[in-house]
Amino acid sequence: MSKQNAIQLKGVNKTFDGFRALAYADFTARWGEVHALLGENGAGKSSLMNIVAGLYGPEGGSLFIDDNPVKLRGPKEAAKLGIGMVHQHFKLVTPFTVAENILLNLGHIQTSGLYRERLRRVSDDIRAMADRIGFDIDPDAPIHQLSIAEQQRVEILKVLLAGAKVLILDEPTAVLTEEEAERLLTTVRGFAREGAAVILVTHKMNDVLRYADQVTIMRGGRTITSLRPDSVSVDELVRLTVGESTTNADQPSANRTPGEPYLRVSDLTSTGGRRALNGLDLTLNRGEIYGIAGVGGNGQSELANALMGIPEPVQGEMEIIGEGYLADLDADRRRVLGIASIPADRYGSALAGPLSIADNFALGDIHSGRYGPFWYLKTRAIEADAAEAVRQFDVQGVRSLKQKAALLSGGNAQKLVIAREFSRPPRLVLAHSPSRGLDVKATEAVRERLRAARDDGAAVLLISEDLDEVMAMADRIGVMSAGRIVAEFSQPADRQAIGQAMVNHV
Amino acid sequence: MNRRYTLEVRQQMAWPWQALILTVSLILGLLISGAILVWAGVPAGELLNEFVFLTLFDAQSLKAVLFQASPLIMVGLAGCLAFRAKFWNLGLEGQMIFGAIGATAITMWEIGSPAMRLPLMIIAAMVCGLLWSVAPVLLRLKLQVNEIVSTLMLNYIAINFLLHLMYGAWKDPKDAFPYSPKYESFELLPDLANGLSLSIPIAIGTALLVLWFVGISRGGLYLRFVDKSPQVARAVGVPVARTILLAVLFSGALAGLAGLMVAAGQEGRLTHSFYVGYGFSGILIAFLARNNPIAATCAALLIATLFVAGRSLQVFYQIPFAMVQLIQAVLVICVASSDFFIRHRIRRVQVGD
Amino acid sequence: MDLITSWIGNIPEFAVPFALAALGLIITEKSGVLALGAEGLMLVGAVAGIGAYLTFEQNAVALIMAMVAASVVSLLFALMVLVMRINQVISGLVLVFFCQGLSTLFGTLMGWTNQPVPGLGAIALWPLSELPYVGRLFVQNIVVYLTPLIFLMAVWALYRSTPGLRLRAVGENPQASDAAGIPVLGYRLAAIVVGAALIGLAGAFISVLSTKLWIANMTGGRGWIAVALVIFARWSPWKALAGAILFGCIEALIPQLAASGIKLSQYFVFMAPYAITLGVMIWVAIGKRDTSSQPGALGAPFIREERT
Repeated sequence: MSKQNAIQLKGVNKTFDGFRALAYADFTARWGEVHALLGENGAGKSSLMNIVAGLYGPEGGSLFIDDNPVKLRGPKEAAKLGIGMVHQHFKLVTPFTVAENILLNLGHIQTSGLYRERLRRVSDDIRAMADRIGFDIDPDAPIHQLSIAEQQRVEILKVLLAGAKVLILDEPTAVLTEEEAERLLTTVRGFAREGAAVILVTHKMNDVLRYADQVTIMRGGRTITSLRPDSVSVDELVRLTVGESTTNADQPSANRTPGEPYLRVSDLTSTGGRRALNGLDLTLNRGEIYGIAGVGGNGQSELANALMGIPEPVQGEMEIIGEGYLADLDADRRRVLGIASIPADRYGSALAGPLSIADNFALGDIHSGRYGPFWYLKTRAIEADAAEAVRQFDVQGVRSLKQKAALLSGGNAQKLVIAREFSRPPRLVLAHSPSRGLDVKATEAVRERLRAARDDGAAVLLISEDLDEVMAMADRIGVMSAGRIVAEFSQPADRQAIGQAMVNHV
Repeated sequence: MNRRYTLEVRQQMAWPWQALILTVSLILGLLISGAILVWAGVPAGELLNEFVFLTLFDAQSLKAVLFQASPLIMVGLAGCLAFRAKFWNLGLEGQMIFGAIGATAITMWEIGSPAMRLPLMIIAAMVCGLLWSVAPVLLRLKLQVNEIVSTLMLNYIAINFLLHLMYGAWKDPKDAFPYSPKYESFELLPDLANGLSLSIPIAIGTALLVLWFVGISRGGLYLRFVDKSPQVARAVGVPVARTILLAVLFSGALAGLAGLMVAAGQEGRLTHSFYVGYGFSGILIAFLARNNPIAATCAALLIATLFVAGRSLQVFYQIPFAMVQLIQAVLVICVASSDFFIRHRIRRVQVGD
Repeated sequence: MDLITSWIGNIPEFAVPFALAALGLIITEKSGVLALGAEGLMLVGAVAGIGAYLTFEQNAVALIMAMVAASVVSLLFALMVLVMRINQVISGLVLVFFCQGLSTLFGTLMGWTNQPVPGLGAIALWPLSELPYVGRLFVQNIVVYLTPLIFLMAVWALYRSTPGLRLRAVGENPQASDAAGIPVLGYRLAAIVVGAALIGLAGAFISVLSTKLWIANMTGGRGWIAVALVIFARWSPWKALAGAILFGCIEALIPQLAASGIKLSQYFVFMAPYAITLGVMIWVAIGKRDTSSQPGALGAPFIREERT
């Protein structure tokens, strides 16, 4: 028996501000199936589904619903056609109750009758639907009292009560525990068995293997293939998803003798809210690059923030051997000790976009007094140093040092950050997704700097969701999953083994 | 095919263009104000005459404009400093009041020899103004108390305290009016050559001082970070709290000095309403000037011209002085609107194939 | 004990402007728009009320015209804040300044200053008005009696109606509301205008019914106190009403203290409302660090993400 096509996308393109998110992507989901959309971060999965849900308009390509061509003008139209999407970031009004949130969404319900009537009707509908699908939700509970898993259920109810027959879930298990994830996916599979089309956007191999009837793999904005998960081996799936190693750079050999330990992290755990970090231990030696590989969302950002001194609620110890605890060091001390931080969020934590390049650069060495005492800022010295740094680090697009930093392209902004952080020879380099959004040339330049720092004896921590990058750069690799380092590998490391470690603990 | 207009945030607009738009908006504002004046009864032909010629090209009124500009420059600078730290110091009037009270205390209690009197008054004015800004900034830094309300409440408390003094302990026994006894001659801000008051060079000197702070000192760099990117500021090591504290205290001191200027410069005594209009003017000057000290000085001159012209409008055409307030507000609205065009671009977007 | 009776009897008259202004502010701020212009809008309402009465000699007309005038002026604020996305703090301040100038100008040029109006007669609620000490509480003009009703209506509209739900949603999470198809800017505009009408009414109450004349800048900071009231009533209408009554008590005390001959400088009593406001704000900040009752999106302009 062949099932009918529910949703079909053909040859869809989408560009954001110069970045090619989707390139001739195809996708077909059928009724009655759980269809997984699998790929790494940045593969284009969310963008593709946002088009189906009417949030983005496709540039070229076409969308078919039930084999009829459709042009969606907005999410409300998509909802009317029975498409419902549950996003990663819930769109719930936290102080309101479940019923109130759902009532908000059902604007088209015309009831004559008092507000109380409507609310009661909605509550009844919620209970009925919840019972039917096995959710345990109290319509009168305020959202902020619900757990993340429960809030997700509210989003699902919201979409179902609006009449969705095509259910798209964007990385639904990213925020759930294993138990909760199982419950959710089983429920969702139940929907499919009843005839709905369920699309599961995910990067978790296990979920795909256990719950999906069909899987479409995406990489770099393209659809690689679409097949039944039980028709290939796990290894093959991994290979299709992470790809072969594409960089030309050789992997570091095993002949590097590591120096003494420099940074020791013990039992780092998140306090409050979600347990992003869960007892993480890590030792970083001088003269090595330690790469942290892992699927995004396993605590990497929290680890990076905690190490870089960006406010992050954690407990545990981060010790610079011989100098003290990282948490006790203020910015001055960090600079003096030669701690260089390259955060992932360039304009949120590293560069002040509205300020000039010179201003941004100055903060690198200002505490040493190199740029004058308080009462006189030696702007010329700053500009001289900045000009030299721009030259040395090959920051392009600088017409004037006084121009706003925000005008620099991604790659050059990153080079500026590194130029600033390396104003003094670094002894500890903390880099989080340093080549994200950079082109090949800029990426190489960045990597060169990190290697050079390592060669000069610095301890370099590289957190990256790009496995290629970690493989090419790191002397030692730690796989991070669910808030801790679950496996360590020395180079030359087996890519498959790393891939397995990344997915098996999910 | 649908066409839609979207609002885009512009990254940067070339400086000359910004200046052009700003000038156009100012002119527009002045035109609107002119229209309001005509509606209020000023003959249209007289407007140009009144505003430009009589005010600026007459030596006497030019002096009046400069004289009026001095305290306005001070409060404008005070506003610039605080706003650069993203601290809404609306308490300029209160700080002016306490500055003047502090200076008057020196005269009432005859502290110091006649030669030292004026310098002591100046110091007292700055210290008292500064002290009246300590509470709001500490409350904001430690307890996140909204400074808009706290500075305003302190304003009203200061106003009432002033009235208490003016009708009570410090009232001049010679008259029934609510003001202090006249200052002695050595307690007034003296006139320099050509009848220009000392307050003018003080104001210009202060403008240069503030320029130094925001442009040349390291504090200015820190302040830029606090103003434009507070999140990044913390991450890259700017001492945010200290910077805000410094800026606000400096702001309070300048406002206090402005209070002295009005009391010991214009009025010759402490009166019950000397501060009226300066507080909000300072805020609006800072906004017009985008917190730039030089622009603030120019804006203050513009507002001072308005003040002086406004007074003569009052005399000759019975236009109430509130007109000046209204014109100021109109100017600011026009400039703020122009800001919108500088920051955004309206783009036509084709939707669909 | 005459003083106490007198004092109690005057409380409602002083409390009503705070209450109405605070309610207007709450409505606006619940939609996520930071409204600092209360002082200005109150002045507009006050001068418009007097002017309308002097022109039409009808109290009802005067009050309604005051509300309309304030609403019209608030459109300028809406333009600045919703369309041009000018910083809401600056917009509020400029609005106050604008209104101060405008109201003084109108008052002077139209000759409305210092012209007494008769106000409204008091209606005695028998038999409550015969009670000892508190009897005078029940001898007030009709607007005072209407105020609790207005509060009831507003609370019903905000918390027990679908448009009210939507308004609050817009203030808490405009992105989610937009995703649910709610016109964010439309609701904010409505909130600004309705709020302004109430604030205008508060101003007109002071000029037409309480002081019974217009003097420039007669609101004397009450608008700012209302702003503070809303913050430490944590945007709850009933708490704001309680706060308004508290301030009414304090303000009503002022003439009584003067009459009683207590040797306290009257200006310290004048200071009291502001000092107490400041004190309560500090106390609240120390006590609970919970800003969860503040509308989630207060003060942030709403720009819909690109949807092409």
